[in-house]
Amino acid sequence: MKKIKTLEELKKLAAELRKKAKTSRKTISICNGTGCLALGAAAVTKAMKSEIKKRKLDVSVVAITETGCHGFCERGPLMVIRPRNIFYHNVKPEDVPEIVETTVIKGRVIDRLLYEHPHTKEKITKADDVPFYKLQTRLVFGSNEHIDPTNIDDYIRIGGYSALPKALKMGPPGIIENVSKAGLRGRGGGGFPTGRKWQGAARADGDIKYVICNADEGDPGAYMDRSISEGNPHSVIEGMIIGAYAIGANRGYIYVRQEYPLAVENYSKAIRAARKYGFLGKNIFKSGFDFDIEISRGGGAFVAGESSALFASIEGRAAVPRPKHIHATDKGLWDKPTVLNNVETWANIPIIINKGADWFASIGTEKSKGTKIFSLVGKVNNTGLVEVPMGVTLREIIYDIGGGIKNGKKFKGVQTGGPSGGVIPEKLLDLPVDFDSLSDAGSMMGSGGMIVFDEDNCMVDIAKYFTGFLKDESCGQCTPCREGLAQMFEVLNDITEGRGTEKHLEMLEELCWGIAETSLCQLGASAPNPVLSTLRYFKDEYEAHIKEKRCPAGVCKSLVTYEIDAEKCTGCTICARKCPVGAISGEAKKPHNIDTSKCTKCGICYDVCKFDAVVRK
Amino acid sequence: MQTKDRVGVFVCHCGHNIAGSVDIKTVVEAVKKIPGVAFVTDYRYMCSTPGQELVANSITEYKLTGVVMANCSPNLHERTFRNLAAKVGLNPYLLEVANIREHCSWPHWHQPEKATHKAITIIKTIVARVKQDAALYPIHSGITKRAVVIGGGIAGIQCALDIADAGYDVHVVEKSPSIGGKMVQLSETFPTLDCPQCILTPKMTDLANHGNITLHTHSEVGEVEGYVGNFNVKIVEKPRYVDMEKCTGCGDCMTNCPVHYQPAIQPKPKYSKYIDKEIIAEIEPIVSPFTGDSSAVVQVLLDINSIYNYLPEDALKFVSEKLDVPLSRVYQVASFYTAFSLTPRGRHIVKVCMGTACHAKGAPRVLDEIERRIGIRAGETSKDMRYSLETVNCLGCCALGPVVTIDETYYHADPQDVGQMFDKFEEDEK
Ligand SMILES: Cc1cc2nc3c(=O)[nH]c(=O)nc-3n(C[C@H](O)[C@H](O)[C@H](O)COP(=O)(O)O)c2cc1C
Ligand code: SF4
Ligand code: SF4
Ligand code: SF4
Ligand code: FES
Repeated sequence: MKKIKTLEELKKLAAELRKKAKTSRKTISICNGTGCLALGAAAVTKAMKSEIKKRKLDVSVVAITETGCHGFCERGPLMVIRPRNIFYHNVKPEDVPEIVETTVIKGRVIDRLLYEHPHTKEKITKADDVPFYKLQTRLVFGSNEHIDPTNIDDYIRIGGYSALPKALKMGPPGIIENVSKAGLRGRGGGGFPTGRKWQGAARADGDIKYVICNADEGDPGAYMDRSISEGNPHSVIEGMIIGAYAIGANRGYIYVRQEYPLAVENYSKAIRAARKYGFLGKNIFKSGFDFDIEISRGGGAFVAGESSALFASIEGRAAVPRPKHIHATDKGLWDKPTVLNNVETWANIPIIINKGADWFASIGTEKSKGTKIFSLVGKVNNTGLVEVPMGVTLREIIYDIGGGIKNGKKFKGVQTGGPSGGVIPEKLLDLPVDFDSLSDAGSMMGSGGMIVFDEDNCMVDIAKYFTGFLKDESCGQCTPCREGLAQMFEVLNDITEGRGTEKHLEMLEELCWGIAETSLCQLGASAPNPVLSTLRYFKDEYEAHIKEKRCPAGVCKSLVTYEIDAEKCTGCTICARKCPVGAISGEAKKPHNIDTSKCTKCGICYDVCKFDAVVRK
Repeated sequence: MQTKDRVGVFVCHCGHNIAGSVDIKTVVEAVKKIPGVAFVTDYRYMCSTPGQELVANSITEYKLTGVVMANCSPNLHERTFRNLAAKVGLNPYLLEVANIREHCSWPHWHQPEKATHKAITIIKTIVARVKQDAALYPIHSGITKRAVVIGGGIAGIQCALDIADAGYDVHVVEKSPSIGGKMVQLSETFPTLDCPQCILTPKMTDLANHGNITLHTHSEVGEVEGYVGNFNVKIVEKPRYVDMEKCTGCGDCMTNCPVHYQPAIQPKPKYSKYIDKEIIAEIEPIVSPFTGDSSAVVQVLLDINSIYNYLPEDALKFVSEKLDVPLSRVYQVASFYTAFSLTPRGRHIVKVCMGTACHAKGAPRVLDEIERRIGIRAGETSKDMRYSLETVNCLGCCALGPVVTIDETYYHADPQDVGQMFDKFEEDEK
């Protein structure tokens, strides 16, 4: 592989690659993201490969691309057949021979595998027409379905690495000015203006500086960074090279959590490939600028995503934060000026350079520019990753893209911002999603987790869940966070187990205040948010637990019992067969009965009964 | 067993404070059986006027030779009850308090059975003690108000300063040539994360300059005799070949002396001699490239963990020695991150996602079912080493929740499908 030294050489290569892609008239892109893999994409890919071999199809005419995540994970395994962009979902290995015969060879569509519009019931052929995709603006994430992340040529073909020589020509001040003007704010949670951060590091004294990509993604319920890392690692690397040049760093790190082995693998492959083309290494694009990237794996600690803790982890120590008054842009990794940005932030950089700051700034709201990827999960119909311009409303995301609540249940709340965020109730669904409005509502943008709750979720339980999570993840360094969260968890536990009193609510509020005001790092300082926001919007649920000893959603085990309504029970025996502890007895076609002394309240009978005969009280 | 003792035991309810978790009736019944106990009773508030009357009358009526008050901390009412005993003619030192509130009912509030059992044990202990007690009588004796503090570390320094500030003479005896101790060797201090020197140095100067303190460095305590209020301490000053009257502490002799004396810092232990050769052979290729590189600890441990599914103790020692990192820090890292395990794990690792999306869709119920199906709880490994069950924060596959992985394979798991899922896994394993 020849090193590429000029923009012209790069353009020539890209043009050749595009030409080659055109001659292979058909591409079958199969999503091999984690979601689809979990649903059997590997078997589908294998079947497709052997089918093509069996039929002796010319691989330069029919090519398979194993791509990263397309976003619509829930419907996986997904397949897109080009050039017509035919979109199949829930593909099984058994479907493969028919797909090859009918669609690939004869060019006809198989109705059965098409997506059906949930309301109009009309079959949709093209991916872009599926409402889930149609309403999105997929700037950062859109490339995933077109490229094989392990093949750098795919990235170059779609224009990859062309922002780099342009940026090198702009010079560091030019790059920083563009990023500032674009109004890009950090996608890792805090929303700090990226241009200002880079400016700080560029100005800081010192010959040695670092850039770091934060791919720790500790927010439980979010996986957009994973999908970019696995599906389009070069976009992050290109962004990092540009950032490094802007601040004068010669070394970069990608900090990836070890729970994402495929991300580690794809980043490693991408780094090796970029070195071969000379995008990493010495004298990049003949600019005299040297830069290389190393991968550092995290050992699985939520707090390791916090900047100073992350530095400690790369330095080989326990991930323990340090006080915030020292700026990372002055003293970060190894006490050298450091810029730490999130995966998605880095992936936005090549787009800004290529399309221009003004174009980028035209998307979004006044203070939040560009798009944001959300992991839309929980009780919505269409779960997956969605990328939308800043400023769309929660309602649009949940109802128009997400297709509303599953099984016709009632919406209760949506959690954004991960463990540091809060739950937003129905009355605020028309809130535009941007950094500032979410903070005003007592939550935050966070890294992009968006978990939808329905009437079957208990808000006290959710508050307890987050508090328990943070209690376990507290690094233990400072007392308010370590002890305060443990106490707060006990108080919430008392409430969910029916021992709550009015005093418990007072204690909660007092603890929230103390922890928020006196913790050393943001983990502790924002830890009370889930409790505060649920107290603010769902106080009635707390009161039901405390005053009536009742869990309205039927989640808190100590407060519910299961019974069979003899009137409704048809004696179908399903529940008796499914009960894991044999607590249900009864003869076929006669009403059944639950032995409450054996029942472990697993709720399976409630789920399986088709006649609503099992009642939860 | 016949004894001459006639001990009376008075169990207090303290309203709800003790009786709320300790079962008083059970305690009374159990105490009746303790040898030497002649009388037991319980009452709502022993410290109240009727309560005190009950104690006083019983001492006389039952001719008690000793009394155990089972109630709150002796800090509160020992004096009250001892005065009471004295009034009715029992030597006050034959009355003891069994603390079944601060030491028992309060801390074990939610474990009534354990609390009751503990209350009985405490009372038994104190009854045994009362039986050993002798009548005591107060005496008067003159004392010298002067203190000796042995050791000039941070604790000794603070202690000496506090006593001296209160106006008493203090002698500080320090074995080494300088006070200060081990504190300076620490990197930072809890909870302010200040550097130890910043805290220690001003205190060292204060001590040296304090009018009430006499400092004996390079000295040891030779002999201690006497009793409370009347000790005699002999201090042995080691020879230092310097006339202390004339020395100004300029330190020139130190720089000019041709012989350099290294302060005694413990030599680093050598572990490799004792480490299992097989382990060394396996991990050497991982560790050696990072010899002397302390920043590689996390990465090296991740690789070792993936060989054994856990971190054997010998591996940690080898890493400590090779990377030149104290073993304590290697352990800190190994116990901090969830990726590491310090105990062997099973052949198959089952991970249940507890992330928010999975939680909302019933992950806790899935976990319950898996625990039941494979018979171990989260965090445990089955005896036959087949499974280890773990919970994780997020498997990053949230759209499909609830998600479970067995080894590297992802499953979407509903509570009712757990049985089938494992049946199939075990079938395939064969
Ligand atoms: C407890 C805690 C956990 C965090 N976890 C992450 C994370 O997993 N990923 C991330 O990108 N940022 C995380 N952050 C935010 C980072 O500290 C940092 O602000 C961010 O990576 C900066 O990049 P940005 O400006 O591009 O957002 C976390 C912060 C805290 C306080
Ligand atoms: S607030 Fe919590 S996580 Fe942060 S430093 Fe303190 S103990 Fe550690
Ligand atoms: S599943 Fe429902 S209808 Fe069937 S036996 Fe059970 S309670 Fe009755
Ligand atoms: S809740 Fe679970 S344990 Fe109880 S009866 Fe229903 S199926 Fe059986
Ligand atoms: S919340 Fe379970 S996979 Fe993310």
